[in-house]
Amino acid sequence: MTVAADQHIEGKRDVTLRVFRLNPQVDSKPYYDDYTIPVERGITVLRALNYIKENIDASISYRVFCQAGICGSCGMRINGISKLACTTQVWDELSKCREEGIIKIEPLRNMPLIKDLIVDMDPLVAKMKQYSNWVDSTMPEAEMGKKEFLVSEEEFHRYDKATDCILCASCVSECSILRANKEYVSPAVLLKSYRMNADSRDGIHDIRLAELVQDHGVWDCTHCYRCQETCVKNIPIMDAIHGIREDAIESRGMKDTAGSKHAEAFMTDISKKGKLVEATLPFRTNGVAWTVKNLLPMAVKMILKRRTPPPPPLVKPSKGIKQFRAEFKEMSEHVKQDHKTHNK
Amino acid sequence: MKPFDIIIVGGGGGGLYAAMEAMKTNPSLKIAVLSKVYPNRSHTSAAQGGANAALANKAKDDTVEMHIFDTIKGSDYLADQDAVDILCSEAPKIIRELDNMGTPWSRLDDKTIAQRPFGGAGRPRCCYCADKTGHTILQTLYEQCLKNGVVFFNEYFALNLSVSGSRMKGLIAMDIKTGKIEGFSARTVIFATGGYAKMYWNRSSNAAGNSGDGQAIAYRAGIPLKDMEFVQFHPTGLRKSGLLVTEGARGEGGYLVNSLGERFMARYAPEKMELGPRDLVSRSVETEILEGRGFDSPAGKYMHLDLTHLGADLIKSRLPQIREMSMYFEGVDPIEEPIPIRPTAHYSMGGIDTDNFGRTVMEGVYAAGECACVSVHGANRLGGNSLLDILVFGRIAGHTAAEEARNFEPGNISEEEVRESAEEIRGYMKPGGHFERYGALREELGQTLGNNVGIYRESSLLQKGISDIEELRERFKKVRVFDTSDVFNTNLLQVLELRNMLDLSETVAAGAYAREESRGSHTRTDFPNRDDAKWHKHTLATLEGGKLALGEKAVTMGRYELQERTY
Repeated sequence: MTVAADQHIEGKRDVTLRVFRLNPQVDSKPYYDDYTIPVERGITVLRALNYIKENIDASISYRVFCQAGICGSCGMRINGISKLACTTQVWDELSKCREEGIIKIEPLRNMPLIKDLIVDMDPLVAKMKQYSNWVDSTMPEAEMGKKEFLVSEEEFHRYDKATDCILCASCVSECSILRANKEYVSPAVLLKSYRMNADSRDGIHDIRLAELVQDHGVWDCTHCYRCQETCVKNIPIMDAIHGIREDAIESRGMKDTAGSKHAEAFMTDISKKGKLVEATLPFRTNGVAWTVKNLLPMAVKMILKRRTPPPPPLVKPSKGIKQFRAEFKEMSEHVKQDHKTHNK
Repeated sequence: MKPFDIIIVGGGGGGLYAAMEAMKTNPSLKIAVLSKVYPNRSHTSAAQGGANAALANKAKDDTVEMHIFDTIKGSDYLADQDAVDILCSEAPKIIRELDNMGTPWSRLDDKTIAQRPFGGAGRPRCCYCADKTGHTILQTLYEQCLKNGVVFFNEYFALNLSVSGSRMKGLIAMDIKTGKIEGFSARTVIFATGGYAKMYWNRSSNAAGNSGDGQAIAYRAGIPLKDMEFVQFHPTGLRKSGLLVTEGARGEGGYLVNSLGERFMARYAPEKMELGPRDLVSRSVETEILEGRGFDSPAGKYMHLDLTHLGADLIKSRLPQIREMSMYFEGVDPIEEPIPIRPTAHYSMGGIDTDNFGRTVMEGVYAAGECACVSVHGANRLGGNSLLDILVFGRIAGHTAAEEARNFEPGNISEEEVRESAEEIRGYMKPGGHFERYGALREELGQTLGNNVGIYRESSLLQKGISDIEELRERFKKVRVFDTSDVFNTNLLQVLELRNMLDLSETVAAGAYAREESRGSHTRTDFPNRDDAKWHKHTLATLEGGKLALGEKAVTMGRYELQERTY
């Protein structure tokens, strides 16, 4: 065996980091500072920021701790995408720049800004509390530590991936619902809620679920998948969100919120006609009173512009509906069966 | 503000367990955890491998007694045997308690908590959750603290203890978000601030903030530090960054291979091979490199940690984080090729001198975890015993403080004292005569420690190290904080952390120079043997009249007599 061929000298490139700046004590509005530095292959964005802080501008502010992708401190938006600065290579980002050679560094979104690249994590912690993001053990206090729970490897695998979450808040930053509604539960908290509900050692599944189905809860998600796409630990967050919804339907029925009724209306239409009956969807989702009060002006406009969807009798079933219904039925049975074995 | 009964400094595993136990012991107490990061960011999260406990799930014949013996032998007989007894006896209970609170342990086929072999252990007794054990334990504890309504002061930086005479009155700290200095009057303070191995900087696996804040604060307040010269080098740090590849990688069957393709551990620990204790494996890697059997690269000489024979499935399921890190930081996929590694400063055995209940010599001041030295690790800690230490002794310290808090009068920190602290900090920002750059000082500290107070130590090297540190401490007086803002001044934090590392580095180098023997992690090439007659004792480092004074303390023996340590 020979000595590893690792000797090649790697070149350096001049790279510009365009960094979002705001010091609330002196700045009335944010601005960007450009820092151009020589960077070789293998240097992370965090190390580049450290270099700038130590050699060019000591006032540039960001959080840094483990530098190994496990503590979750250095979440920020790099070229528009929320990720960890410590696991992102500068050279990899060069191909993603809008302006050639300029990497844009900005704070996470959807959380209050403190300074430069630092945002306030308190609202996220408050939501973890609101949605009981902990195992409330079925083990009586007096028995704690005396014996282990027996947990199957299968159960462990149900929440194993979810426990990878390091609360870096990249998903929070990318969430499209949170942009519109800061009260929304947020993907990270849903993921944790799912993980707790899947744990047989926990005793407050129902209480947690009852909170999750309220306004700003699990039914507000619009399936944009941004959270899952950006998760720095590649956790299938949407599976968790779907998991909570299925769980909610199973154990609470369809009564909870507009969101759940909306989902139910979809299912009914699809199973009957293979497509949506849009005209009556608002009534079935939000009720007659709400729809009249909130959507009547729009409905009038739509009628005037002849953009109204056809009324139910005119919605013809899709082509091949017979076969579709059979397959749909089979699928539904399958899912039900899956749930049963899952819950055993 | 009404005085606190207990202020806990540090929100890692030790601090969080202390908080919960203190609340449980006496629910009427006013308790708070003060942490410079959000608790879930603490360095406990970086512990990958696991926590030892003789549950006997995997090896049915494992016993607490064997765990005790392994720990004492691993410590090179410098651990206090009564303390080790507590550590290992409490282990099964505390691991089950974590299970009861929701820690997602990996499982065996019979649904019990999974255990794997670990360095220096006679049986597979390391309980784990894949390679994210510390992370999941920290999450569990943080979740439980939120559940129990623990009061947190997040992103507060502890500056100093307020002491009058021999009486502790509380803690002075800075609210990082506003830059405001505040006095926290308190009956008791528990330090759980983690280790100090980051003083080795890029030759360290530690987080940027592992600057030994608690130890430095205690030291400045006149509380003795113990066994500071014992710094553990982990054999497998990533070549470029010093970041850690868990011992679990070898526990799962990974090989250490030199440039001749040899599994060189056969030369040094023919029986345990790669699973020898850390100090021995680190020295072996270093020796191979020094004797020219290493690989060469622009980032320095290194060895191979070969996992390729383990197969993709095992690596993906049991060591996913290691794979990720190797790819991120070395560009190497361990399924395809070996990981380039070299030893990295990893753990501080030394710390604030405490008794078995977490008490220091100063009334009302307690310490636990890596920040403390009880001592359960002696001259060398076994893998899987550090998570255990923070849990067991975090809980004990929380319990003791809760029982004793009301024995002490509440302190009262004067406004003047707070103002003085604030002025001292403002001083770093004034241009007159302040020009030294933080980055340069820190870099030089790391280098001199790595070169002169590293794995192999020797009189003249250590003298060089000591004089370098002295010079750096002089230069630090002229250090400048260039960022003058109040809100989240991270430049100021870096400088305050460097001050703590500089204060502590002196105790590490001085202890290493004084100890003329080789024991555990402390290897003197000029004194290659263990010298029990002269040095079977703890080192104490105390600040007396502004000067470091070295003292000693007897080791508590028990059932186990001194023996030569071979593997």
